[in-house]
Amino acid sequence: MEKPVRKSLLMWLLLSPLVIVILFPFAVMVSTAVKPRVEVLMYPPSWLPSEIRLQNFADMWEATRLGPAVLNSLVVSIVATVLCLLVAIPAAYAAARMEFTGRKLFRQFLLVTQMLSPIVLVLGIFRLMAKMGFVDQLPALVLAYVAFNLAFSVWMLQAYFQTIPKELEEAATLDGASTVQRLRLIFLPLAAPAIGISAVFIFIYCWNEFVLAMTLLRSPEKSTLTLQTFSLVGGRYQVEWDHVMAATLVASVPVAVIFALLQRSLVSGLTVGAVK
Amino acid sequence: MASSSSKADPAPEAGVGRTVNRAKTPSIGKIGRASAPYLLILPSILFAFWIIGYPIYDMANMSVHAVNRFGKTAAFNDFANYQRLFSHQLFIGCLIRTLVWTVFVVGGTVLLSVPIALILNERFYGRTLARIIIMLPWAVSLTMTGIVWRWSLNGQFGMVNATLSSFGLQDTPVEWLATSTTAFPILIAIGILVSIPFTVTVILGGLSSLQADIFEAATIDGATGWQRFRYLTLPLIRPFLNIVLVLNFIYVFNSFPLIWVMTQGDPANSTDILVTWLYKLAFRYGELGIASALSIVMFVILLALTITYAALAMRNERSQA
Repeated sequence: MEKPVRKSLLMWLLLSPLVIVILFPFAVMVSTAVKPRVEVLMYPPSWLPSEIRLQNFADMWEATRLGPAVLNSLVVSIVATVLCLLVAIPAAYAAARMEFTGRKLFRQFLLVTQMLSPIVLVLGIFRLMAKMGFVDQLPALVLAYVAFNLAFSVWMLQAYFQTIPKELEEAATLDGASTVQRLRLIFLPLAAPAIGISAVFIFIYCWNEFVLAMTLLRSPEKSTLTLQTFSLVGGRYQVEWDHVMAATLVASVPVAVIFALLQRSLVSGLTVGAVK
Repeated sequence: MASSSSKADPAPEAGVGRTVNRAKTPSIGKIGRASAPYLLILPSILFAFWIIGYPIYDMANMSVHAVNRFGKTAAFNDFANYQRLFSHQLFIGCLIRTLVWTVFVVGGTVLLSVPIALILNERFYGRTLARIIIMLPWAVSLTMTGIVWRWSLNGQFGMVNATLSSFGLQDTPVEWLATSTTAFPILIAIGILVSIPFTVTVILGGLSSLQADIFEAATIDGATGWQRFRYLTLPLIRPFLNIVLVLNFIYVFNSFPLIWVMTQGDPANSTDILVTWLYKLAFRYGELGIASALSIVMFVILLALTITYAALAMRNERSQA
């Protein structure tokens, strides 16, 4: 099929209102983040600053203590992702490959827990963490993130695992491979893309999460990136918007780039996992 | 020995060899084999019971007992917490706003996502770029989206007013988020915007699974574009639409960060929905009894929605198999 220019123009024209509304906040972020402070609070506001002040980013990094927050977010997200996969992969393998009584029940259990959102349980989770002495500790966040990503990960992984032909593993068993060899040499390499995609989804969830971080963390030096950025806006009389926009840019751009680069595989992963 | 013979022998023989082999191993192996799947799923179940199950039990327990603001529970109190919740002056308002919020965001999202998915399913120059742009809001956290829109909608210095007035669409600047008539509709619009990417993705998945030949056949039979959409596309992507409706309903019903970041339920509770009110009850007003009762009520609503979703998903899986 050919792709005529006129049709392409029409398609872009139809999409243009949405494209504008989607790109609008990014334009605002960039525009405000590089403005000299006096121009941020100037009426009427303008898109273009008189000079592009990249120094804003350095100032912001110092003034808002964003560095430690980025580090906290990285540590929490990575540890939670790894832990979640360590728990999810065996469960997904069992759900996809093994016959056992209660398999259907387990799959229903996954579907139900997948739907529970932290906000409905946040009071109970706070009390649980308080009881365990974990309030204002990053491990509390890790545990909660793992719990809320488990069902989704197991569900997505098992849907993928079902697409890996069983025969390869059976052949390896016939050739005398041990269970460990079979998993390490045959199954895991084939499952690697699925595991990678799940990891990206879990990581993005943790990186972007807000409610649990706001509830479970107290001291500013423990803040994650979303929480720290929110604290620059919430409950303040004077908001330094140039710093805030620089911070949101730093927080959003890496994830947006990862997402854009992996768009195709993320989307196909989700359609295998979530819709099936 | 078994392995060398299985290579040479034809397949059925190899199968026999395997069963014999298995029978020879002592019963420990058998038990190990039978319990293996349970051992593999055990950690995930323990995790879920610990971090998700216990809090539900704890809140259910708290919701039927007298509880002070530090969370100490006392005697069973005849569902007084639930009575106080249902008779609370803000409850009905929050409930209605939650319904309005959910219905409008989900409805708007699906109505917009179907044509967008149809467009993105066509072949045209720059389609990959268009797809990436439309997926972008998904990658950015709702907190950041909320913060940026809050600044953009600022009455004096926000770029929304500046842009509108530069196109002559507005005479006087509007304080979008501080005016009770505009704040909630604005939140709904942004709620729709951030729900579009996921919805479009799922519908696109449905569209790409359609076979081209039935559409060609319909075209040859003289069906118009609208007829093809109404009588072929729509019924065929129906299962995907169902799933998207239920999933979005659950997500939007629970949506907290956008409203919290942009208005915190203000002005004068006019943008409070159940989840934001719940958070205030629990962590600002210390009304733990009412908060736990509300959590349980919402949990039950979600459970009902989830069972609907599970039934739909299972039905889909069966029809695909």
